Order: sequence, then C-alpha cells, then structure tokens
Amino acid sequence: MAQPRVLVLDVPEPPGDQDQEPSPYEESEVHDSFHQLIQEQSQLAAQEELELQQRQLVAGALGPPGSGHQTLVGPGGAPVHSTATLRILASMPSRTIGRSRGAIISQYYNRTVKLRRRGSRPLLGNVMRSARPSLRLYDLELDPATLEEDEKRSLLVKELQGLSVAQRDHMLRGMPLNLAEKRCLREKSQVQRGKWRGPQDRAGVFSCCSRLRYACILALHSLGLAVLSGLHAARPWRYALKQIGGQFGSSVLSYFLFLKTLLAFNALLLLPPLAFLVGVQAAFPPEPPGPAPAFTGLELLTGGGCFTHTVMYYGYYSNTTLNQPCVPPRHGDQCSPRASSLPYSMPLAYLFTMGAAFFITCITLVYSMSHAFGESYRVGSTKGVHAITVFCSWDYKVTEKRASRLQQDNLRTQLKELLAEWQLHRSPRSLCGRLRRVATLGLAWLLCLGTMLGCSVAVFVFSEVMIQSPVSAGQEVRLLALPLVVSLLNLGAPYLFRGLAALEGHESPGLEVYVAICRNLILKMAILGILCYHWLGRRVATLQGQCWEDFVGQELYRFLVMDFLFALLDTLFGELVWRLISERKLKRRRKPEFDIARNVLDLIYGQTLTWLGVLFSPLLPAVQVLRLLLLFLVKKASLMANCQAPRRPWLASHMSTVFLTLLCFPSFLGAAIFLCYAVWQVKPSSTCGPFRTLDTMYEAGRVWVRHLERAGPGASWVPWLHRYLVESTFFLFLASALLLAIIYLNIQVVKGQRKVISLLKEQIRNEGEDKIFLINRLHSIYERKERSRAGRNEEATMSPALHADRRDTW
Amino acid sequence: MGQCLRYQMHWEDLEEYQALTFLTRNEILCIHDTFLKLCPAGKYYKEATLTMDQVSSLPALRVNPFRDRICRVFSHNDVFSFEDVLGMASVFSEQACPSLKIEYAFRIYDFNENGFIDEEDLQRIVLRLLNSDDVSEDLLVDLAHHVLSESDLDNDNMLSFSEFEHAMAKSPDFMNSFRIHFWGC
Repeated sequence: MAQPRVLVLDVPEPPGDQDQEPSPYEESEVHDSFHQLIQEQSQLAAQEELELQQRQLVAGALGPPGSGHQTLVGPGGAPVHSTATLRILASMPSRTIGRSRGAIISQYYNRTVKLRRRGSRPLLGNVMRSARPSLRLYDLELDPATLEEDEKRSLLVKELQGLSVAQRDHMLRGMPLNLAEKRCLREKSQVQRGKWRGPQDRAGVFSCCSRLRYACILALHSLGLAVLSGLHAARPWRYALKQIGGQFGSSVLSYFLFLKTLLAFNALLLLPPLAFLVGVQAAFPPEPPGPAPAFTGLELLTGGGCFTHTVMYYGYYSNTTLNQPCVPPRHGDQCSPRASSLPYSMPLAYLFTMGAAFFITCITLVYSMSHAFGESYRVGSTKGVHAITVFCSWDYKVTEKRASRLQQDNLRTQLKELLAEWQLHRSPRSLCGRLRRVATLGLAWLLCLGTMLGCSVAVFVFSEVMIQSPVSAGQEVRLLALPLVVSLLNLGAPYLFRGLAALEGHESPGLEVYVAICRNLILKMAILGILCYHWLGRRVATLQGQCWEDFVGQELYRFLVMDFLFALLDTLFGELVWRLISERKLKRRRKPEFDIARNVLDLIYGQTLTWLGVLFSPLLPAVQVLRLLLLFLVKKASLMANCQAPRRPWLASHMSTVFLTLLCFPSFLGAAIFLCYAVWQVKPSSTCGPFRTLDTMYEAGRVWVRHLERAGPGASWVPWLHRYLVESTFFLFLASALLLAIIYLNIQVVKGQRKVISLLKEQIRNEGEDKIFLINRLHSIYERKERSRAGRNEEATMSPALHADRRDTW
Repeated sequence: MGQCLRYQMHWEDLEEYQALTFLTRNEILCIHDTFLKLCPAGKYYKEATLTMDQVSSLPALRVNPFRDRICRVFSHNDVFSFEDVLGMASVFSEQACPSLKIEYAFRIYDFNENGFIDEEDLQRIVLRLLNSDDVSEDLLVDLAHHVLSESDLDNDNMLSFSEFEHAMAKSPDFMNSFRIHFWGC
C-alpha cells in the first residue's frame, strides 16, 4: 500500500473558548463553526502578511518582488490552506454527510428518488461521458446540494407523499433526525390525506354516528392501554433471557436461545403424530394382549412395564383400517347408522405422518441454517477482524458492574493475544519450533482418536454382553446398564479431551474451542453409530418372535432419561460443588466457567436421540419437550448461582450458525439415514405394529398405490407419479444434477463479487489520491493568487515609501 | 421524585411515537414510566427534562464506557426531553435498522467531533474499552494502525462515515452488540 500523504489542517485554538467547542452536531452551528475557522484563518493570514511586509521593509528589499516571498507557514510548520480552500473543504460531501440536517435531508431525498425509480435504469447514451466512470451517473439537474434547506425539505416531503404508508413510515423511522423533525415531516406528508376526511365530517348525517364510534374506540383504547402495561408479567422467558444477557453477555445467552429453538423444533415434530396417530388410535383402542401390569416407579426410568402397551410405542398401533363403514352381515339387515364413516388406514397414516414430520423438520432446519449463514457471513469477512474487535466487542446489553469488569478483562486478553499473533506473523517460528509443534499436535490427536476408538469398542463389547444375557421380566433394572455406561463415557471423555487441549497449548482461543467441539462430536457420533448397528442389526435378529420396535423405542427413552439425569448430576457436581470447594477450601474468588461447547453438544445429542426414536415411539418428542423445559430451569438457576461467563468468548453471531449447522449435518442427517434404512430395508416384526404383515414398512405405500390403480381411472395420476418419480432413479439423477448446477452458479457469482470488490477498492484508492492532488493544486493556485495580490499591495505601499527613502538618502 | 399521573400519555401520542420510532407500545409505556419517576414532580411529561447525569445513571447506561458520549450525542442543549430519550431508545432497540445504528455509532465514536474517526479517536476508544491507564503505547499504536490499514480505503489516515459503514456492514456482531434495553420491565 502506498504511503498515505497526510493532510494536516493546523488550525490554532480559539483564544478564550476552550470548553465551548462548536460541535458539528448542533444543527444551527455546523457552518458557523467553519465560518469561525475561516475568520480566524483570514485574520492569521492578514497578520502574517503584515509581518512579512514589515520584515521586507526593514530588510530594505529593493530586489524583484518574487524573491523574498515565503510560503505562509503556520505555527506547527505545516502548510496552511487559504480561506477559499477552507471554505471549499468545509462543504465537501464526505465531511457533511451524516452530520448536518440539510445533508441528511438531501441524502434521504436521493434515497426516496431511487426507491421510486428503481425499475428504470438511465440509458447509457444520456449520461455524460467522462474519463472517470464514477462521475458518469452524476445528474446535475437533481443535485440538491445547491438548494436551500427549506427547498430540500419540501422536495423530500413531496417524495414521501409518493410512497406508500408503510414505506414512508419505515423511511421516517430510519432517519437520523430528532423526533420533532420527523413529526413535522410526517404531518406535512399526511396533509393531503387529512383534506379528504374533511367533507365527511362536515356532513351532518354522519357526525353523531361517527362521534359515538370515536367515543367507543377511545374508551376501548384506554382500557387497552391499562391491559398492555399489565401484560409484561406474562412473558417469563423474555425477562429471564434479558437477565442472563445482562449478567453474562451474548455468548452464554446464545446457549439459551438455542435451547428455545430446539423446543420449537420438537413442538413442530410433535404435532403431526399427535393429531394423526395418537389421537385416532386412542379413540379406537385395540384389544389388550393381557392384563396390564401395575404401575411401579421404575417405568419412568425404563419406559417398559405398564407403558409398553400404550400409545407411546409403535406396538400399540393397529395394522387395519379403522372406522370402516359397516358391512351388513346378512341380507336384509340394516346397518346401524354411524355418525361418521371415514375409513382411516393406520399403516398408511403412520408412514405418511412420520415422513411428513421429518420432511417439515428438514425444510425448517435447512431454512434456519441458511438464514443464519446469511446473517453471519459476508464475502471477504474473514479479513477486518481488528476493526470488529474494537468497534463490536463491547456488548452494550451488559448492565452489571461485575460483568462489565469481566468484559474488560476479556477484551484485554483478546487484544494481547491479537498483538502476540501479529508479532508471530511478523517473525514466524523456526523450523525446529514448527516441527515440535506438529509433533505435539499429532500426538494429541492420536491420543484423542485412540480414546474414541476405545470408547466405541467398549460400547460394542458391552452391548454384545447385554445381548448374550437376556433380561427376564422382573429384572428390568439391568436394562439401564447400557445407557449408564454410555452416559458415563460421554461425561468422562470430554474432561480427558480438555486435559489434552491444555497440553497442546493453542494460541488462538477460537481454534481451541472448535477443536474441542470437533473431538466431542466425533466421539458422540461414533458411539451413536455403534448403537444404531446394535439396534437395527443385532437386536432385530435376536428378537425375531417379539416386538423389536417396542424394545428400540424403550431403549431410546431410557437413553434420554439417563442423559437427563447425568446432566443434572453434572450440573450439581461440576458447578455447585466445585464452586463450594473452590470458595471454601481453595479460597479462590473465581467461579467455575459455564462451558458453552459441552452444554450445546449435550443438547444436540439429546435431539439426535429424539429424532432416532420418533419412528418407534411417537410420543418421544413430548418427553424431549419436558426434558428441555426442566433443563432450562435447572441450567438457569445453576448459572445464576454458581457460574461466570467464559473467560475466552467467541463471536456470538457465528455461534448460532455453528450450532444450527451441527444440528443439521451430523445430527439430523444421521437420524434421517437411520430412518430411511429402518423404513426401506428392515423387516418389521410380525406380532405388533401397523406393518406386521408386510416385508418392509415402505410396502404399505406400494400396496396403497396398487390399490389405487385397481380402483379405477379417477386417481390414476398418483400411481403414475409413484412409478415415474419415486420409484425410478432417473428423476433423482435429474434433480441432483440441477442442484449441482445451481451450487456451481452460486460459487461463480461469489467469485465474481469478490473480484468486483477488489476492483472497487482500487478505484476508491485512486479517488483518494485524486482528491489529495486536487486539494493541493487548489491550495497552490490560491497561494499564487494571494502572493501576487500581496506583491501588488507591497509595490503600491512600498513605492511611495521607496521614493521617499530614495529622496531621503539622496 | 416525580409524583406525576401514571397515564398522562394520550392514545394518539402513543400511536405517533410507535409510527416514528422502532419501539413497541409496551416499551414506549415502560420508558414513559421510568421517565416520570425521574422527572420533577407536577410537570407535564412533554415539558420535563432530565439532566445528562440523570440519564447517565440509568441502570442500562451505568456501566457503559461510552455513556458520556451517548448522552452528548442524543441530548439537545445538554438536557434530555422525553422525545430525546425515546429517540435514544429507538436507536438502541432490537428492531432498529442497521443504517440508523451505524449512523449513531459513528457519532458516538467520533470523540473529537471532526466528522472523522482518526487515530486519536481510535486510541481513546481502546482506552475507554479497557478502562485503565495501564495500556502500553505499542498496543494502542499497533491497534490503530491495523484498524486503519484494513478499513481506510482512500488512504487519508482517517475513517470517514462511508468507510465505517462499510466495515460495520461486514460484521454481523455489530448489530448484536449495539443494543440496550432501557425499560425496567
């Protein structure tokens, strides 16, 4: 980058007026401040001229007028610009934009004009040609810089009248003027509409009815006012989230916001099965196979026992068509009229409801992920991290003194780390240091992968042991062993990873957090993969004569409950007890940190379990909703009492994007693959459930399509769709090819945008140099003018004096 | 302290404030309540004013390192009327548009009020953020230099409004962090 040529406007301080500096933000004094500047400058210039003349008189300069002249130099030695230059500089757009009222009004006038003219582009032939392409679209006719402020305001009002009400209000809200001005603009642009209401009021026929109407409306509105201000108590979430944000900042708040998002997803997942499966089946209960066992408390943990033959699990649902119109048993007998005879095919409903629920979840997830991406990433945004640190790092939401001091500490650490990073860039490590670093990293990763492999093998072996020793009716507690082992591993391994990370010693805290997330995620996914194989591969084989879907549903219920219990235990011991120990025994003032990464991964793990189990237990999302609500309360209470914000914060905006991406990619994708495999490939059990007589669950759909084919030509498009779009692979190839083409196009567009950005930056740099060049030229021209004028004045004053002198000396 | 009537505000005024600011009705009423509690007794809320010290000591602004600049930018003649407070709350609310926030952020961060954010302003910002005088000169100079080398596009060693706007538009954190909840409810 070229060395910047610094322009220094060295203006002497006004003598007695130090603390009453005219602020450029005072609307009436903007040009006054520069006016004062210009006055002082001209006074100073006059003084300098006088001194110069006296000096030359004293020195008796008889030589040519040009030699003794010096350039006017200010007190600091920097070049002083003439008053004319100053006047021009003061009205440059870059110095008045965003400050004076007139400039704001003209800026918004331009914006409204552009809004109106958005459709039409100016023809290239009509614009002025010039060497610099930036001046091409400069339309002198519309340039409002030459108008007075009142004229500008009336122009703006006229433009505002042309917009719709919503657009006008939105534009007014976004203007950086004070409220009185905005009201004035609004009233002026509403004058036209007010006139139309006049004739109605003048007509006597309408007046008493309208008055009555207005009185009623006013009374209702004052009642509404009273109700509104009392309604703030009905929003508990909002207050809790505000409290957390004020005390701990945005990064901890993002965890709770993610929890809220998950609640919304689960509610969405719960509604279709609740409406179409649970409700209908509960209205037409099937025959119970035997006496229902009594309720012992263990059911809440194991999910079995008296919960087994209820709407909660797959096995309860019948495989026939419910509510069929009755077939008269004998000739002549009348069928008792039923209130409604809507036949409801349960297998079909089960398949389609589950498919629709997953499809809706998928669409919602992909949409929110792309929305979050759109908000948090910009083209070229990886550079510019330092400006962001300075301007965006202070979280204005924080209102507690303790939290603000913590923020300051965080910021200091962050800035020091940034400084260290820059120094590292300037002086990179030696070869030996780099090798050592690579070796440390390699060792740490090897240990982590080894741990993960060990955990997976342990889970596999234990699951095989569980299969080998079948559980009899009374020993259901033993079923809790596998979830217990898995939860223990999930609890212990992250602490090990944290220790290894301390050994590695990363310089950048952001990278450290991402690496920790990555490792925990791989561990959890590996364990879940082993468990999926265990359920769909081994359990199906060993439970041939029984209802294996019920068993899998119950297993997932057990996993959810056990995970919740361990989360509670971890909160209790990891946070409460640790704080007590560190305060009493170790006498440290530092509270334990709230580990955002681990908590978020636990949430994602729980959600994956729910998605895995929805097919086998339609009410599992309800369990997850309860779990999340309890978790919110517990975590919030523990946070307020025991924790402090993490010492190394991340960028809050990127966090929600990262969480959603993690939710979508390993978690939802894995669950979808599991579901597809279960629906397409696995043989359902023959003793229970809606698909007992079929080879695969998907066959229910195929059976229905064939039934429709036989039914007649009326609904023939459905079998046609099924044969040519769903069953054939050609359509799938076509859709994938289209998708790939769109992705490629988007990548090219982004590349093009990057190129345009760099070209524009180059252009701005050139314009900056142009500006400096022009200012200097302007200054030199005026300087020459001043010099020549001073020279003429000198000659005029000096020549009679000179003549007098000469006469004297003679 | 203010013993004014609770519901001094008329419905038309509330509608107008709602149309002209980014605040919801509930928020406007809460600010109205807070304002009435602080203003002197017996005065109509549209004529009462608060001093800059009173506004600086609001719980939302008490620990903010830029509270004096915020008060200076949003006040008129060194006092706050009710509409000034509403304007301030509107700029800092969650629904405000980015251009408005960037505009006022530029005014707040321009300490010497010359229309640009220059090196002196940047160093003062960093000192305010860290709230201590124990900051090395190296850090300040380095940081200012890096900020300018990234965001100063026309090489005049200062950030003009357009350059500031460009830098902040690239950062989604700006919108998240430039928010204050003023109301007590």
